[in-house]
Amino acid sequence: MFLIVVLWGVLSALTVFPSSLFPSPLDVVRGFLEEIQSGRLLDDIIASLFRVCTGFAIAAGAGVPLGLVLGHRARFRQALLPLVNFFRSLSPLAWIPFAILWFGIGDLPAIFLIFMASFFPIVLATTAAVASIPTIYFRVAEDYGLGGSQLLREVTLPAILPQVITALRVTAGLAWVVVVAAEMIAGRDGLGFAIWDARNGLRMDLLVVGMIVIGAIGVVVDRLLVRLMLLPSVRWGYER
Amino acid sequence: MFRSSTARFVLMALAFISVLTVLRFKPWQRFATGNTAVTNSTKSREQLGVGFLPVTCHLTCPVTDYATRTSTATRFESQRFTDFPTVVESIKSGRLQATFLLAPLAMKLREQGVPVKIVYLGHRDGSTVMVRQDLAAESLRDLRGKVFAIPSRASNQNLVIHKLMEDQGIREDEIRFVELPPPDMPGALAAKAIDAYFVGEPHAAKAELDGTGRVLHHAKDIWPGFISCVLVVHEDLIRDRPEVVRDLVRGIAESGEWAEQHRLDAAKLSAPYFRQNERVVRHVLTQPPDRVSYRMLTPTDEDLQQIHDMALKIGILERPVPIAEVVDRQFIPQEIKPANIDMQAAKDANN
Repeated sequence: MFLIVVLWGVLSALTVFPSSLFPSPLDVVRGFLEEIQSGRLLDDIIASLFRVCTGFAIAAGAGVPLGLVLGHRARFRQALLPLVNFFRSLSPLAWIPFAILWFGIGDLPAIFLIFMASFFPIVLATTAAVASIPTIYFRVAEDYGLGGSQLLREVTLPAILPQVITALRVTAGLAWVVVVAAEMIAGRDGLGFAIWDARNGLRMDLLVVGMIVIGAIGVVVDRLLVRLMLLPSVRWGYER
Repeated sequence: MFRSSTARFVLMALAFISVLTVLRFKPWQRFATGNTAVTNSTKSREQLGVGFLPVTCHLTCPVTDYATRTSTATRFESQRFTDFPTVVESIKSGRLQATFLLAPLAMKLREQGVPVKIVYLGHRDGSTVMVRQDLAAESLRDLRGKVFAIPSRASNQNLVIHKLMEDQGIREDEIRFVELPPPDMPGALAAKAIDAYFVGEPHAAKAELDGTGRVLHHAKDIWPGFISCVLVVHEDLIRDRPEVVRDLVRGIAESGEWAEQHRLDAAKLSAPYFRQNERVVRHVLTQPPDRVSYRMLTPTDEDLQQIHDMALKIGILERPVPIAEVVDRQFIPQEIKPANIDMQAAKDANN
């Protein structure tokens, strides 16, 4: 990281690129201070976190149960899996015109786009995780007389949780990547919007500020999700 | 063990989202302002959102926003967009009823059956053909075989360049056109990925100030009275709130007149709305002073017919659209006096 900053500083000091298109580290620090003082940075962070967390939470809340159903029921899986794969392949950018049509401008369309980006991968990962549970688990469960919700709680969920958490980790990264595209239509705030706005405003220093903050938050979010893997109920999955 | 730790995680996630929701919507602020008389008085005033992009062609929009902050007439709130497709989609979905828009795009909307009318212009001139600093080009003819960037096929810049090529006897395939988002043009020019571009200001001035580009033509020199963007309103708005449209057109007209007489102040006032460097905006408004004009904003049939015919020829429009259907001049004021703008208050507001 230090090396990158040094290289960046040297490149800008040598003016290999025009300074207004390639800001120096000092310009970016000044941009940081400007954004913090005006209060915009904090507002942008809150707006983006709100959209990403909401979109992602809805996607996880709906995606994991759907994945469970698809994993357990082969017929559903055959019917719906091609559809899930179809939607998974679509870039959230392609949905922008419809997001505006259905949700207007602001929080809702951004949440919708983040949902679209994270829902399908979560469904797919959960389905795959359930399908890969060794059948012996279920046979043993049957011997113990487990069924219905008890089977789900005692066997299925513990068995798939390690894989699901890995999937959530990857998808959370994806949702965070999509925020820049999603906030193109955010209207007035958000880190992604700040990046588009800085581009339009010809302010490369503020654009880099946005990049740094998005990257830093991405790292923090991942660290938090990694902590989930340390839970006793899932740790076995990584220590096999 | 499993159940309690997972449940705890889900609860924590929900709590986190709840905290974010509270921080995002700041209910305490809404509660506080809801009680003040100021909010009540603004609520009783008519309000209208007007779309614009951070380009100097749309400068009268933020000026009107500023002027109507304190006046007793209709409050016009400028809504900054980042690109034209989003503006168009917002109009189509009925969530935006008034906006600045590229003239050919407005006609295209009409052709598609979206009932919009051009009620006024936003500016005259204010676009520039830039070439690379190290390129010894003196006219369009010298750009044969070069890469030339335009904002979009549906932009008026594209139409004018094609008209110019025709006049100078340059074939369509002799210049390699590429479409680029305007903010990327100065960078592409500096990186020598393109050799020239034609765009609305301040995206040309940026390359000029950087020293990577040189002005080949100002729009005013190749097509005097050049129009790129027009003020468009939805027919629903004209039908339901004609007085608001009248207020808006007068507001834009008076803001234009004020900007003409106070160019430095106009740069200072609009830069925060555009979130652009004031120096760049000031350069556009003063170097030379007639680089962009905010007078003579009544669209004539001849102006629009010319744009229409070129758009039809290039294939942006698929079929003729009668100009009388596109334009509505009933709201244009007879007399235009400069808007009443208190710069001291603007300074205080920006600080």
